[in-house]
Amino acid sequence: MNTEVKMDSIYAPSEDVVVREIEGEVIIVPLVAGVGNMEDEIFTLNETGRAILAKLDGKSRLKDVLESLSEEFESPAGEIDRDVIGFVGELFKRNILVEASEG
Amino acid sequence: MNKSFVSSVPLPESSLWDTMGKKERSLLFFDLEITARCNNNCRHCYINIPAGDRDAMKRELSLDEIDEIADEAVQLGALWCLITGGEPLLREDFGDIYLSLKRKGLLVSIFTNATLVTEEHISLLRKYPPRVVEVSVYGATRDTYERVTRRRGSYLAFTRGLNLLSESGVYVRLKAMALRSNANELPEIARFCRQRTMDYFRFDPVLHLRLDGNQARNEEIRSERLSPEKIVELERGDPDRFRTLKKECDELIDPRFSQIKCNHLFNCGAGRWSFTLSYDGMLHLCSSLCHPSCVYDLRKGSLTDAWNNFVPRVLDMKSDRKEFLERCHVCPLTNLCLWCPAHAYLEKGELDAHVEYFCKVAHSRASALGYNRILSVDGKE
Repeated sequence: MNTEVKMDSIYAPSEDVVVREIEGEVIIVPLVAGVGNMEDEIFTLNETGRAILAKLDGKSRLKDVLESLSEEFESPAGEIDRDVIGFVGELFKRNILVEASEG
Repeated sequence: MNKSFVSSVPLPESSLWDTMGKKERSLLFFDLEITARCNNNCRHCYINIPAGDRDAMKRELSLDEIDEIADEAVQLGALWCLITGGEPLLREDFGDIYLSLKRKGLLVSIFTNATLVTEEHISLLRKYPPRVVEVSVYGATRDTYERVTRRRGSYLAFTRGLNLLSESGVYVRLKAMALRSNANELPEIARFCRQRTMDYFRFDPVLHLRLDGNQARNEEIRSERLSPEKIVELERGDPDRFRTLKKECDELIDPRFSQIKCNHLFNCGAGRWSFTLSYDGMLHLCSSLCHPSCVYDLRKGSLTDAWNNFVPRVLDMKSDRKEFLERCHVCPLTNLCLWCPAHAYLEKGELDAHVEYFCKVAHSRASALGYNRILSVDGKE
């Protein structure tokens, strides 16, 4: 499986996870086998991770998400790319994010 | 913006608990008794109704009702859910109930006797893994197992179901109740369990009475209870258990319990972090608390109303009974004792009544752990 993150791709949360918010914490609960490792490896996202995940809505290309985040966090273009791509890559590798088809 | 965006941490280490720790109450988990019916007829069982009981079947919550209540529980923040019974696999819509809870983002565990496990259940649980499946083991041999379950063929069905679960890779934990009918086989039961699971094995030697108050069945349960001396002997005979009891006895036996000044009845986690939903739609603060003033009919109201308005009123219940305030309420052995208002009600019909049997068991345990000093201070046994 190719786990390379592509700037032109569109990403969205997988249907194999349930994204929940409890007491302001985002918790990603695996639904099927092979996503995370149940209790030992449930993802919790910090505030920034949460802002990124909200933009990975199955409609926007990753490069547009990066641009929008740059504006939101008032960072010069390119500065946050490595972190965001790393974040998307980690979630993609764990099947928490999937590539959504266009349109 | 050079910080990490995402943390992958074991849930117990999540900062969620810091937030929760500052709260007095917050819904974390709930037990869901999807049926009180069971295909076994165990001598010690506090809930079982015959599998074919049509009245019980009619009173059971439907899938839609469960779905609606679970939605509210999730809205209130619940993360864990235990599906229990009766025997939950008796329900033909078990798979739909299970999947519906999973799809809400709940971490779901299942209690079962394993006798009804099918290939279909296994496919479902492999694809959508539960947090854990806990199976009760009533005996290590057919004779003992069926002496407890009083159903011919149940041992074979149990071993078949357990093998299916174990071979599937689903996380299985085993546990036992110790009663007169199987106590002599407990070492073999422990061995049976330890051979079949990498996880710890636990047994519970203190039986509690029926939720429905059935007097004939209660007499049976009382006759199956082990003496305090036998309970201590069994606990001593299980090195892992006794070592843990010894190690934790400073927390288990805490003289600070004696300093409690309030006269509230409830000092446990029930209704603070959890609730139990019984098969007929009644909300209980815990599965054992059946006093009519402490239950709420969710078919006539909402979980949000029950959790936010009714449960705090129950938690605020007090007692002025001198015997309670001077004895069980301030007993340092409370963590070694089955006594609580719920069990006091099941035993005596009063939430603040003393229960001699539980008291004797707790004091025998404390004595075995070397806490004679507290016994003499207490001076009431």
